[in-house]
This record gives sequence, structure tokens and C-alpha cells, in this order.
Amino acid sequence: MKIFATLARGSLIAYTALFFAFIYIPLALIAVYSFNANPVNMMTWTGFTTEWYAQVLGFKTKISENALYLESTSQLVEALWNSLIIATSTTAIATVLGSAMAIALYRFDFFGRRFYRTVMFMPMLMPDIVLGIALLIFFVNSGINLGLKTIIIGQCTFLISYVFIVVTARLAGMDRTLENASADLGANEWTTFRKVVFPQLLPGIVGGALLAFIISMDDLVITYFIAGVDVTTLPMFIFAMLRRGIKPEINAIAVMMLTFSFLIASLGLYLRSRQK
Amino acid sequence: MTSIAFRRRAQLAVLLGPVSLFLAVFFLGPLAIMIVTSFLSPGLYGGVEWTWYPHNYGRILGFADPMFEDFDPIYIAIFLRSLKIAAMTVLATLLVCYPAAFCISRLSDRWKNFCLFLITLPFFTSLIVRLFVWVLILRPTGLANEVLIGTGIVSRPLDLIYTDGAIILGMVYVFIPFMFMPVYASVEKLDWTLVRASLDLGAGPIRTFLRIILPLTAPGIAGGAVIVFIPALGNFVVPAILGGAKVMMLGNLIEQQFLAARNWPFGSALAMMVMTVMLVLLFIHVVVSGRRGFDPATGH
Repeated sequence: MKIFATLARGSLIAYTALFFAFIYIPLALIAVYSFNANPVNMMTWTGFTTEWYAQVLGFKTKISENALYLESTSQLVEALWNSLIIATSTTAIATVLGSAMAIALYRFDFFGRRFYRTVMFMPMLMPDIVLGIALLIFFVNSGINLGLKTIIIGQCTFLISYVFIVVTARLAGMDRTLENASADLGANEWTTFRKVVFPQLLPGIVGGALLAFIISMDDLVITYFIAGVDVTTLPMFIFAMLRRGIKPEINAIAVMMLTFSFLIASLGLYLRSRQK
Repeated sequence: MTSIAFRRRAQLAVLLGPVSLFLAVFFLGPLAIMIVTSFLSPGLYGGVEWTWYPHNYGRILGFADPMFEDFDPIYIAIFLRSLKIAAMTVLATLLVCYPAAFCISRLSDRWKNFCLFLITLPFFTSLIVRLFVWVLILRPTGLANEVLIGTGIVSRPLDLIYTDGAIILGMVYVFIPFMFMPVYASVEKLDWTLVRASLDLGAGPIRTFLRIILPLTAPGIAGGAVIVFIPALGNFVVPAILGGAKVMMLGNLIEQQFLAARNWPFGSALAMMVMTVMLVLLFIHVVVSGRRGFDPATGH
């Protein structure tokens, strides 16, 4: 019997190792092949190069003398720039609105509270495409020109929910006795909020903002529907590239994006683990 | 006292006012307009005519507008196929996550947290990049075929990409964190004394699994199934990249109605079908689990 138990345990551990391999080996593969010199078949190794990175970053290389390549690089830079503008604006708006909603629902009891909670969870459950087309119909019907503005508004509608959930979790873990102490010691409500509640809440708000930023940078589906013809974001650029045919620079872009989101996500999760 | 009550109301208004207005105009408003649009008549050159028109749903469900077309079962076929692919995605994701959840739940806290971190991390990375990797692996000149041919298992490249299988693989890869977290939550809560009791009393491992472990972890499985099934059903990025033009799912059909065919009412009706399936599933989940709410953060 003991042998069976050990065997079962061993195979479970081996399985879990495979599970992690399945998640991470593909990501490691792009990282390796982003240095592959082969311009035609990206998965056949012909030598080491950093050319694709140089190209994405806009340095002059042998290939980038070619006008076509230069154009695609400038499009890429523009897409990246758009994504950053959108993510910064949406993060600011969604963080303020989502945090306000979280505080209101957690600290106040009022009619319609359950309705608000349901509305907050709706965007997380609804398939993105539904919200994307609903927003498209709405913007076109109300005569608003599609572009950066509509993308920012559209992304905020679901980013508010993400901020709400992170801030609510933080509120639930907070120590109410400190507030009572502050009130007992004569601080008024505003001072208590500023000096006691807000500092405790801040890690939650920062966490929510980081999450909103990453999700905004990554959003493809909703943005795709409400971007209009003139604006391209980074995920849209890659999506279009995948549909047209793949070029080796895409590996380099992918690796840079992965590194970027790994860093921000690790930072967020690190901040969260430190509060506990 | 009234002044305190008044102050609290004023605070609440400041906190809730702007966000309520924003969500009413830009979230609930658009959804309502989409529902209305799904019952309107499509204009001849794109656009919408304000007349009652149930045939958008009819085109899918079997009562197409007799003025324009005969009923074509292609749309219901796409709908059913999307349901099938979403169901298979749920099953495959569950099979991948369930054993791993058991293993990780038995680790020490330090390793447990590290493993959970590794599983959530991909959720924060670009979806499109994670799918792109599979294009490189699965396409005819990709890694998988190169390995298969190199080792002599096959002589000609297999059609791996642009198949149902490729779509399911891509979805499993993307949805692992969605399934893992709820399943893990109920596996971790599992009371192992019951399992030991069952084994001591003479039930075999299979019987113990079916009668004890499976029912006790069922809430997590159900929660994970719901949160994987819904986005899988309406997904359009995965089939667009890994299904190419060959495999059409509801998401692609909806996209086509909006960006190419310009039949918005029909596209809205298709989206409403997705929403209906979602609401039915959530309703069943809430009724069966006997809870009064559903929390997508945990899947319970």
C-alpha cells in the first residue's frame, strides 16, 4: 500500500511539473527565438542576433534602411504611445471612480446597494465582445467620433469593476478600532479619513491602479470595436500583424511586453504580500 | 442628529454620484440600446430602421424574414458549435487544473504561495502575446511539426493550426487561471479526515473519489466551469488567431456583422444569444449552489 501511495504522490508531483512547463515553456520559447537571426522561419535557429530588438527600438540596422520597415516601426511606436496615453487616463479615472464606489458600498448602507454590487460584477462576467458592440452602437448613435476619447471611456466602464474589487478586499481587511480611537482622541471625520483611513487604504488603491493599468494596456476586444479607423493600440497592432503574416520583430515586441507586465504584476503582488 | 444623517447622505452623494452617472450613461445605457437594436430592422445600406423586427432572432432560431431569405441553419450550427467548443474547453481546463490543485494544496505555505503566484502571473501578461506563441508552435512550419518530422513520427507537416483542437488548446492556455483559482479554493478546504475515514471503512480509491472528493470539490468545479464557459462562448480573439478563416465561432460571426456585413441588429441579436446563455448558466449556478449571490473573484 505504501508503495502505491508514494507512486501516486510521485506522479502527482510529476504532473504538476508538467502543468507549469505547459504554462511557461511557450513563453520561454519566444524569449529564446526573439534572438534568432532567421528572418523567414522564426522557429528554425540560424544564429544569434539582437537585430529585431534594435529594429523595434528604432535603431538603424541593415534591414531598417528599407522604407517599408521604417514605416512599420513608426506605426508601432505610435501604437505604443496611444496605449500609454489610454492606460494612463483610464487608470486615473477608473481608480478614482472605482475607489469611491468601493468606499460607498462598504461604509454606507442604502437602498439599491445590492443592485450596485451586481452592476460591479457584470463587466467581469460578460463576454468582452458584448460590451464592445454595445459601446460601438452607443457611440455611433450619439454622434461621438470614435477615437482615443471613446477608447478611454469604454475601457473605464469595466476597469472601474477591477479597482472596485481590489479596494473592497482591502477595506474588508482594515482595522476599524483605529478609526474609533482617532475619533475618541478628538479628530474630526475628515482628519480621521486623511490620517487614518486613507493611509491604510492606499495599498489597495495602488494595487487597483496597477491592475487597471495592465488590463488597459492589454485590452484588445473592447478597444478593437470602439477604436475607429485612425487609432491603433499595441494589442491591436500585434493582432493586425498576426492576421497579415508574422514578422520576426513581433517576437521582440512580445518579449518586451511580457517583461513589462511581469515586472508590474510582480510589483503589485509583492506589495500585497507585504501588507499581510 | 439630523445634521449627521444629512452629512452622511451628502458624503454618499459625493462618493456615488459621479460613478453612478458614468456607469448609467456608458455602461447600462449602451447595453439597453443594444437590446433594443436587436429587435430593430436592419437598414438597406447599414444602419438601423426603427421598426419592430423579430427576424434577427428568427434568422438564428428558424423563423427568418420570408421577404428576404429562407431559413439557413448555418447560424444555429455556428451557435451549437460554439457551445460545443466552450464545453470542451471547460472540460479540458478542468482536467489540466484539477490534479495540479491537489498537489499544490499539499505543499508548504511558502511553496504554495509561490505556485499560486506562478499561476496568476500569466493572467497579467498580454493575451495576444500568449496566443501568438501557439501560432509559432502549431503552424505548418512551426516547432511542433518540426519536432514531429525531425523525430520521424510523421513525414509531412500535420494540420495543427486552424482546427477546433487549436482553438481549444489556445483557450485552455488562456483560461487556466480562471479555472484553477476556484477549483483550488475548494480543494484546499477539503476535509481529508473524511477521505481517510472512507478508505478505512473499506471503500476503494475510486469509490472514495466519486463519493467523497468529487462532491466536496464540486462547488469549485462548478464555479470554474461557469467563469470559463462564458468568456469561451463569446470569444473572438482565439478563433480569429488559431482558427483562421476555417473555424467560425459566435464571436467571429458577431464581429463580422459589425465590422464587415454592417448588419447591426443581427449582430446584436447574436450577442443577446450569448448573454442569454450566460444568464441561464448563472441562474442555474445560483439555484443549484443555493447561494444568494455569485462572486466572480472566487467563483463561488
